Amino acid sequence: MSSAQSSTMTWHDWLASETPTSRVQALSSRVYQSIGAVTANPAAFTGLIIISILILIAMFAGVITHGVSPYAQILAERLAAPSTTHWFGTDELGRDIFARIVYGARVTLTIVLLVSILVAPIGLAVGTLAGYLGGWVDIVLMRVTDVFLAFPRLVLALAFAAALGPGIENAVIAISLTAWPPYARMARAETIAIKNSDFISAVVLQGASTARILFRHIVPLCISSLIIRLTLDMAGIILTAAGLGFLGLGAQPPAAEWGAMVASGRNVILDQWWVATIPGFAIFIVSLGFNFLGDGLRDVFDPKKS
Amino acid sequence: MLNTFKFALLAGVLFTLAPQAYAETPADTLVIAKTIDDIISLDPAEAYEFMGIEVIANTYDRIMRFEPTDITKLVPGMAESYTASADGKTFTFKMRAGQKFASGNPVTAADAVFSLQRVVKLDKTPAFLVGQLGWTKDNVESMVKLVDDATFTITIGEDYSPSLVLALLSSVVGSVVDKKVAMEHEASGDMGNAWLKTNSAGSGAYNLKSWKASESVSLEANANYRGGVAKLKRVIIKHIAEPAAQRLLIEKGDVDIARDMQPDQIAGIAGNKDITVSTIPQAALYYVAMNLKTAEFQNPKVRQALHYLIDYEGMANSFLKGKVKVHQAFWPSGFWASLDDNQYKYDPVKAKAMLAEAGIKDGIEFTLDTPNKAPFSTIAQAVQDSMAKGGVKVTLVPGEEKAVLTKYRARGHQMLIENWGPDYMDPHTNADTFARNTDNSDAPKSKPLAWRNSWDIPELSKRTDAAVRERDADKRKQMYLDLQKDVMDQGPIMIMFQDTVQLATRANIKGYVMGSSSDVVYYNLTTK
Repeated sequence: MSSAQSSTMTWHDWLASETPTSRVQALSSRVYQSIGAVTANPAAFTGLIIISILILIAMFAGVITHGVSPYAQILAERLAAPSTTHWFGTDELGRDIFARIVYGARVTLTIVLLVSILVAPIGLAVGTLAGYLGGWVDIVLMRVTDVFLAFPRLVLALAFAAALGPGIENAVIAISLTAWPPYARMARAETIAIKNSDFISAVVLQGASTARILFRHIVPLCISSLIIRLTLDMAGIILTAAGLGFLGLGAQPPAAEWGAMVASGRNVILDQWWVATIPGFAIFIVSLGFNFLGDGLRDVFDPKKS
Repeated sequence: MLNTFKFALLAGVLFTLAPQAYAETPADTLVIAKTIDDIISLDPAEAYEFMGIEVIANTYDRIMRFEPTDITKLVPGMAESYTASADGKTFTFKMRAGQKFASGNPVTAADAVFSLQRVVKLDKTPAFLVGQLGWTKDNVESMVKLVDDATFTITIGEDYSPSLVLALLSSVVGSVVDKKVAMEHEASGDMGNAWLKTNSAGSGAYNLKSWKASESVSLEANANYRGGVAKLKRVIIKHIAEPAAQRLLIEKGDVDIARDMQPDQIAGIAGNKDITVSTIPQAALYYVAMNLKTAEFQNPKVRQALHYLIDYEGMANSFLKGKVKVHQAFWPSGFWASLDDNQYKYDPVKAKAMLAEAGIKDGIEFTLDTPNKAPFSTIAQAVQDSMAKGGVKVTLVPGEEKAVLTKYRARGHQMLIENWGPDYMDPHTNADTFARNTDNSDAPKSKPLAWRNSWDIPELSKRTDAAVRERDADKRKQMYLDLQKDVMDQGPIMIMFQDTVQLATRANIKGYVMGSSSDVVYYNLTTK
């Protein structure tokens, strides 16, 4: 970029240029337009705001709760109604529900993050390998995928969690084991569509290895749809994690996990509605946020739409 | 036939159309809401679960009995009288004349002998109760003998106090089974065990009509019952797992009695004139155990210090209010020879000082195994919190109760929270487990609580053995009081609470008998 250009062009013009003059400009322009598209889409924007707030809450939990521990019990103040001292009331052991909700955001984000890190690579690897190599590799991998897809997701996660023993780590493993097959399917479909394109043939003719073709040319093209799918799936992951927590197979006491909090409030729901309702509401809002964001991202990045 | 069918059809339609205003239970039926998923069998030689024993207490009569009309006194039940020989080893029982089983068969001494021998021969879980008397599969036929139609004798191999022997015959294994009916349903030498799991052949106030696992138990009055036909013809016990759901049902009048409501639900129905709440002390104890395989716990000072780090009153007055009372000795309050002084109070400062004396200054860490269900998980979290205030860091290890017990029986825990209910109404049942451990090796014959916590106590074991043989009641009582005191002082088991049940009944229900254990819950005197 020369100085002459920058003096005559605004940042907006530069970023929105239809004829980028450098790789940097092209990339920046793409990011800029995506951000514009996401913010212009009300649903996606709402989702983005919710998720950002969630992340901020999780990061600054200690500040937000003014140092109130989510584990501190005051038995004399148990099941107190929402008030100025306890914004969301207290639970059956006199713990501040607001603090538990805030710290629970960390647990939820940890689960979502860990599941994403586990699921995306597995799905991608299985899908691209099956799609690109074809033949018996494809058959074997896809039948394994079919086996996993044949079970209802929550039921399979329950079985895994029960077999592995309760706990957050095991809940993450159980959810991941049940969540990867759709990603494999999707990556395989995309790979099959891409592998016969001219540019792949060109790379093959240049003598590139299979690994290089997969990692440098096919995987990057599958990633965007994978991320969208993952964002959409996060609501499901949160719900599954909360479901496991509710049934006592996820996070274990005294951990502040929203699903487990709903479960412990269930017995007093007729008289002390806040104990179960508020964590339920938190699960609802965050799931909605991820759904909005995923939906919005799909709208923005869907090539067929633009 | 067609008319009946038409009528049924019409009635069905009408019932479906009718608004749900007829919530009231039928006038001749008692409907109880309770969790019944612990039932494994309803055969008196096999059942060893709270609910199974309760059903059997109503479907079978027993040789010795706490009668429904007075559950505080142990009296001869199906037996009319008994005499003990001079050496205290042989007991002769005379059966009441004119008794009949529900089937119409007359009750004879042969049925009683059959029933006792059957328990030993089948060798299911409760067989150890009479096994203590020295009865084995090989000798039981000579130890339990028929004299004539109305008389039988039992001989005991151990030198036990007569009150213990009588207490054993009032437990579930003292139920008398109709020999003829049982043997009619025998399959491959099981003495009717498979059939009796889901049927009854007794002479109790009720007959078992059906048991659907985790769904319902229904009983029908037995016209031949010794104590007179039950006032309500039918009893239905519905499996309702959620305390909140039990509350809704009793508020609406869909059930007459709710058995498992927790303090929070009881508080919610306060002021409701249609429901009466009564509090009944139970014999079960809640405790936290410390395994001496963990080096720190071998120091009695450390064990004592931890006693001061449990907020007994705090828990009993908050989330366990009305559900427990503080009790720290191993034999529950309200029974003969109970020790009611609670010597420990929550005192983190004192505990810290004691730990410092024991050479622990920087705090210590333990794991605490807990069943992942109420009230254990809540108690465990409260204990974790109060221990932390004394510098003891506790990590909770929640698990399915079955898994927790398996770990416990393998001595794999550091600390563990559980409850314990006596098997029969004699302090020996608890002394035997809390204060007796004669083989502390890894593979002993029996695994009492003292063994499960690796507490090697040759001296206390001897005193327990002496107490059960003592014939003088006052001396014996003092021996148990001393044992309880010593276990409280030195033991690895921190007993916190004695269970109580808050029973919610509709106001029109009268005469429902509920005592301190499953053996003394009787439906037959209930009216409405």
